[in-house]
Formats: sequence, structure tokens, C-alpha cells
Amino acid sequence: MQRMIQFDQVTKRYPGGNEALKNLSFTIDTGEMAFLAGHSGAGKSTLLKLVAGIERASSGSVIVSGQNLSKLRSSQIPYVRQHIGMVFQDHKLLFDRSVFDNVMLPLDIIGFDRRDAARRVRAALDKVGLLAKEKSMPIRLSGGEQQRLCIARAVVHRPSLLLADEPSANLDRAYALDIMELFKSFHQVGVTVVISAHDETLMEDYGRRIIRLKEGQFAA
Amino acid sequence: MKHFLYLNWQSARQALVKILRQPFGSLLTLLMLSIALALPLSLYLTVSSIQEWAGRLTATPQITLFMEQSAEEADLAAVSSTLTKHPRIQSYSFVGKKQALSDLEKRNGLPGLSDGLTDNPLPDAFVVTPKTLEPHELEMLQKELSGLPMVETAQFDARWAKRLYGMVEMGRQLTWFLGAALGIALVLVTHNAVRMQILARRDEIEVAKLIGAPDSFIRRPFMYHAMWQGLLAGLAAWGLTSWLVMTANPAIHEFAQLYNEAVQLRGLSPVELLVVLAISSLLAMLGARLASDHHLRQIQPR
Ligand SMILES: Nc1ncnc2c1ncn2[C@@H]1O[C@H](COP(=O)(O)OP(=O)(O)O)[C@@H](O)[C@H]1O
Ligand SMILES: [Mg+2]
Repeated sequence: MQRMIQFDQVTKRYPGGNEALKNLSFTIDTGEMAFLAGHSGAGKSTLLKLVAGIERASSGSVIVSGQNLSKLRSSQIPYVRQHIGMVFQDHKLLFDRSVFDNVMLPLDIIGFDRRDAARRVRAALDKVGLLAKEKSMPIRLSGGEQQRLCIARAVVHRPSLLLADEPSANLDRAYALDIMELFKSFHQVGVTVVISAHDETLMEDYGRRIIRLKEGQFAA
Repeated sequence: MKHFLYLNWQSARQALVKILRQPFGSLLTLLMLSIALALPLSLYLTVSSIQEWAGRLTATPQITLFMEQSAEEADLAAVSSTLTKHPRIQSYSFVGKKQALSDLEKRNGLPGLSDGLTDNPLPDAFVVTPKTLEPHELEMLQKELSGLPMVETAQFDARWAKRLYGMVEMGRQLTWFLGAALGIALVLVTHNAVRMQILARRDEIEVAKLIGAPDSFIRRPFMYHAMWQGLLAGLAAWGLTSWLVMTANPAIHEFAQLYNEAVQLRGLSPVELLVVLAISSLLAMLGARLASDHHLRQIQPR
């Protein structure tokens, strides 16, 4: 099995001296679906940001699909991100443009032909059940719908790695399960999926690997 | 490659559409830019028109060669052939002593003046129109001509030539100075306009960076926006100066006619217009590039 993500003795210290991750080493295989568990402040978001190159490791190396992010120049990081889909904890939607245009953005960035892109955008919106709302503005969507919009934007360019930071937070259980099923379907077509959550009960049903964090280290 | 061009064409078109859709947002910047361009352009046109006119001027500094009284036909012919061949001389005319005397009689209303004289006291003279306006070269020429055989003196009105030349030269330097100063102003104005745009679109830029947008992608719309703005400002400045030329020319013409001169302000030639458009759009893009390099680095999403 090839490795999608490899952490070697990774420490992340934020300015101010706060150590969010302490000497972590682990790997996630290509095509794997893994969960990241831990209370608030355990370091889940930090770990995902290191994978996406949003933050840089203070020491150790982060290798994503063969690329050592610690050694890349910052001008090369965007091209790594183009192969990653990320569902942000705070969504990061753009409220000045329609649902359709929000999902179009990643395709614009990689320079997709506009007509093919429109087809892709609709396919992604259809997948998350938002096709009927393509012309709506994100502000008119419910919390769950915004979450789905964020997922559509994360998968529209068909990334090989999908990172989701607490995608089921603030959703009722039935809705959260729907979202988990959605991620499972991406995993089934070969996408490597890493999902974080502070609530483990959702993960246990799936029988997947759970990486448990506590204060920046593996929990027993 | 074709795809890359297609993407750039898309950005260029979108940036233009954006400017045209909200003309008032861009109008103020556009106005500032076109005035900044129109000032040195008008001065440039004025100076080069004066220069053109001065070149044709009947009163261009002339050097008068007075021959010795004892000069004979052969000496006159020798001087005449030297003048014809001289590379720095535009033209010359000969005023013989007889003609000079009769001119003098006519001008002073003294018919019969010559009757009282046994000898004509006036010398033969050549009136030489040089090719150059430059005072130093004129002086050299004067010295050279006064050294010709049988030439007594070579005179010219140096002060007048110096003044005209000095004025043209000062105008030219002022044009360059204004051009440079307002070129810098143009860079600063677009720098500021793009800075405002970047700050206004901070959220969008942050999200774009988060999902993998390289700086070139984020910069592209600003660069094209600046390019169009520079181009439109160049065209507007051209319009302003053309209007100035059109409205000023009748008055200038009338005034100049009082002195029997044909003076005209000229407009930009097509080549000059192209140069102006190229420079203004490049300067605007330079401003945009500096602003985006500076401010995009500051936007680091977390
Ligand atoms: N930008 C930051 N600057 C300083 N400290 C931070 C920053 N982001 C997170 N932290 C700290 O790092 C630790 C881990 O945070 P985080 O990765 O967000 O945890 P989680 O996502 O599991 O809640 C926390 O103590 C948090 O306060
Ligand atoms: Mg978090």
C-alpha cells in the first residue's frame, strides 16, 4: 500500500509557545478512510492544516502523496492544495456569490474549461442534494445545507485526498449520519478520506481506524 | 499553451466588463490617470510644435558676412561656392553693394543719396541661414565663416538665438520632468486603487488561497484591471489633448497671422499614440504588480 500521509516526529508550536502537536508519527494509506478524534483543543484542526500546508510543522516532516511539505517553497504549496479537497470547520463560504459560483471557484483556480466546469459543478451539487438551489445565495441555506455546499466545493475538482474538519458538528444525529454516508461514498470510489470529530459515537459504527488525540499527542 | 491564453483572455474580458459595468467606481481613478497623462502630453505637443515652427522661422538666426571693400568678383564666387557646399548651411543670399545702397535709400526716404557719394561705402554681403539653432554651433560657424578669404566680419544676433534655443530646451526638459513625475503618480494611483480592491476582497482572496490558488491566479484580475485602466486613461488623455489642440488652434492661428507666421499646435501621431498607450498601460500594470506583491503576501489564511 502506498502512503497518502506520513508524519515523522512532527511538532507544531504556535507563536506564543503553545505546542499544539507534540512529536507525532503516523501514516495514512492511499484509499484509506480514517477518523481523527479528540476533545476541543486536542490538535485535530492543526493536524489537518499541516496536511493541507495551511500551517507548517515546527519540526519533523509532513509528507503528502510523496511530497515533503516541510521542504517545499511556499509558492509551491498551492499546487499541493489543488489535489486536496478540504471541508473547513468554519465553512469558509463566499457569501457574495451564488451556490453555483462557490462550487465553481476550485475549477476556476485549476483553469478548467468553463463549459465542462459547469457540468462538473452541477454533478457535485447533485451529489450533495443542492442542485435545486444552485442559484441561491449561501446565506439563505440552513446550517446543514451550508455544510453540504462546503463538501460539494471540496470534491468538485475530484481530489485524491479529502480532509473534513468536524463536518458533523452542530448537526442533529440523522443529518450527521447522512453526511458520514456521503464521505463513505467518496471513499468507495478511491478517495483517501480523513474526518475529524470531537464526538466518537458517530465513528464507531464504521469500523475504521480512529486516531485519538489528546493535548497534541496520541491518547491511549 | 492555448489553454493558458484562453484563461488570460477570459480574465482580460472579465476585467473589462467589470470596469464597464461600474463606470463610476473606476471613473475617479480614470479621471486622475488621464489628467496625469494629459499634462505632460500637452506640454510635449506645445514644445514640439514650437520647435517645428522655429525650424521654419524666417527669422532664424542669420549670419551676415560683410566682404572687404577690395573684394572682387572672383573672391565673391569663391565664398559663394564654399557656402553652397557647406554642410551646416541651409541657404544663403547675396546682397550686392549697389542693391544695399538702393535699399538704404528706399528705407530712409533719401533718394539721390548716392548721387552725393563718389564711392559706394557699403560692402558686398552674404546673408547665411544655418541649419542649426544651437548657440555653440552657431558661434563655431560664425568663427569659421569670418575666417574665409576677403571676409571682413561675420555677424549674427546671438542673444536672440540663445533665447529661443533656451526656451525650447527648457520646455523639453520640463516635459521630461513632468512626464517622469506624473508617470510615477500614475504608478502610485493604480497602486492605491489595487490596494483598495485587494483589501475589499480580502475574504475572497483568503478562501481562494485556502483552496489552492497560486498568487498568479489571484493577481491576474487586478493586473488586467490595471491594464485596461491604463489603456482607457491613455485614450482619454489623447482625447483631452486632441480637444485642446482643436480649441486652441484657431486662436493661435489668428495671433500668429498678426506676425505673418503660420503656427499650429500639432496632435499626436499614430506612432506616438501607440507609445503613449503602451507606456500608460505598462505603468498601471507596474503599480498593480507592486500593490499585489505587497498586499497578497500579507493575506495568509489560517
Ligand atoms: N493560530 C493559533 N495560534 C495559537 N494557538 C493556536 C492556534 N490555533 C490553535 N491553537 C492552539 O492549539 C491547540 C490545538 O488547537 P486545534 O488544533 O484547533 O484543536 P482542535 O481542532 O482539536 O480543537 C489549542 O490549544 C489551541 O488553542
Ligand atoms: Mg478544530
